[in-house]
Amino acid sequence: MSEIAFFGAVEIGLVYALVALGVYLSFRVLDFPDLTVDGSFPLGAAVCATLLVAGVNPWIASLVAALAGSMAGLVTATLNVRFKILHLLASILTMIALFSVNLRVMGRPNVALLMQDTVLTPFYGLGLPDHVVRPLVVLVVVVVVVLLLARFLNSEFGLAMRATGVNARMARAQGVETDFHIYAGMALSNGLCALAGALFAQTNGFADVTTGIGTIVVGLAAVIVGETVLPARAMLWALVGCVVGSILYRLAVQLALSADAIGLQASDLNLVTAVLVAVALILPRMRLKAASKKREAVR
Amino acid sequence: MITVNGIHVTFGRGTPLEKHALRGVDLTIPEGQFVTVIGSNGAGKSTFLGALAGDVIAETGSIAIDGVDVTRWATPKRASLVARVFQDPMVGSCTALTIEENMALAAARGRRRGLGFALRGDRRRHFRERIAELGLGLENRLHDRMGLLSGGQRQAVSLLMATLAGSKILLLDEHTAALDPGTAEFVLGLTRRIVEENRLTTLMVTHSMRQALDYGDRTVMLHEGRIVLDVSGEQRAGLDVPHLLALFAKQRGGEDITDDSLLIG
Ligand SMILES: Nc1ncnc2c1ncn2[C@@H]1O[C@H](COP(=O)(O)OP(=O)(O)OP(=O)(O)O)[C@@H](O)[C@H]1O
Ligand SMILES: [Mg+2]
Repeated sequence: MSEIAFFGAVEIGLVYALVALGVYLSFRVLDFPDLTVDGSFPLGAAVCATLLVAGVNPWIASLVAALAGSMAGLVTATLNVRFKILHLLASILTMIALFSVNLRVMGRPNVALLMQDTVLTPFYGLGLPDHVVRPLVVLVVVVVVVLLLARFLNSEFGLAMRATGVNARMARAQGVETDFHIYAGMALSNGLCALAGALFAQTNGFADVTTGIGTIVVGLAAVIVGETVLPARAMLWALVGCVVGSILYRLAVQLALSADAIGLQASDLNLVTAVLVAVALILPRMRLKAASKKREAVR
Repeated sequence: MITVNGIHVTFGRGTPLEKHALRGVDLTIPEGQFVTVIGSNGAGKSTFLGALAGDVIAETGSIAIDGVDVTRWATPKRASLVARVFQDPMVGSCTALTIEENMALAAARGRRRGLGFALRGDRRRHFRERIAELGLGLENRLHDRMGLLSGGQRQAVSLLMATLAGSKILLLDEHTAALDPGTAEFVLGLTRRIVEENRLTTLMVTHSMRQALDYGDRTVMLHEGRIVLDVSGEQRAGLDVPHLLALFAKQRGGEDITDDSLLIG
């Protein structure tokens, strides 16, 4: 793997670390299987790119993109909480709707960012090569997000959100307004995914409606890899695990793609990821079964 | 004080499975009274406690706590007034969270939950002191996940959690039913101590006639969604288990009660 390819993999891993954090919030903290992500990631890219073309400050554009993602999360949460639509279905509805929305936002299937200033522009002239600057800037954003998120999940409000996902009945009996926490968590989760989309557009120099496909699976893969290499209970370390998982996943992908012997091409990525996640979901169950068989045998 | 006036609850209204679970329950419980609740399976005991806690909303009638009409309040809002311990230790706690996180969750009951740390140093110390009072050695296991505790330990911690936020009403729905006899005895003793120390107005559902008479100041029997027996004071003191079983049998239209293993002892 060349140096450029290595830094490229780390960069994309860091961008998708934000997706992993969002997916961790919905799937793990709230126990809400949410596919909205496939729509909120390109939504973030679309909103950010459109605003940048219109000459808006890149940080503000990124923030607005994140807010747009939060709105998408709120739509899914409303369909589920208020109108009792099954969470998976609710999120698929939002995701499909977002495909149209994203086209509307951009006015065309893709937007190129050629001359526009991005959040990266001020750091390009500081002596480091561009392919190092990009992951560094994203790293700073990711570190800040991880610290804030860990702080949040350890607060009284965050603890109530975790309880909502673990045992909603108990949480309500302890006075937690579980519905409100689902809204808040889903907004936060999709806001992070949209922020990832905004950074993706700025680091890659384009936004495209099709970039969202498979985002959720990539995010899940990162969460699962993270949980495997860093099985932690403390909030901060669990979140760091998501980030590490995302980077490792991208490095593994890069390695597989650059090894000619395997004969994989970039378009095989979704298949490989899906297989990886499926295996990761099946393994623990097999292990449980094996363990109970063993117990029976002992008896 | 709890004032319940003619509440009705129907599940699955308009469906073939329609069930009129509470059919006009009236009950006034003065502050600090400890009431034991008995009745056969499906009598409506859990539904009644659920109606007090807000899990089921009464369609007619009213419920007031300390003079405040809470009939239409949802569970989280009522939680500031009402603490509960469930039959299934899994239901009453967050098994994936640590013991101290569970306690922090309970301690914030009825308060606005802000962005301050859920577990600050002084709170941790307070939790450690309180859990040490249980005498189970759990003060050294505050960082353990709740799911690692035995059923009895978890019910003991659940009882403690019920007292952390200073609510005045405690609802216990067969909270010792999942425990072995020795552990059940311990948790019941703890229940009595906690109720007395905190002067809690308490309702305890039990299938044991012995417990129903041994604990508390008053015993209420539910049958088919109505209160069919309400004894306290002298009258209750004069009752023993065979008496109560006979009364029970009468309510059930003279069915042979010895078949009902749930009612013995
Ligand atoms: N959520 C529900 N939906 C439909 N029917 C219900 C529901 N909850 C309770 N019921 C029915 O209402 C009746 C009263 O149930 P409840 O759970 O209050 O009885 P119980 O006295 O607590 O019985 P047990 O001793 O078995 O716990 C039963 O016939 C039960 O099947
Ligand atoms: Mg019951």
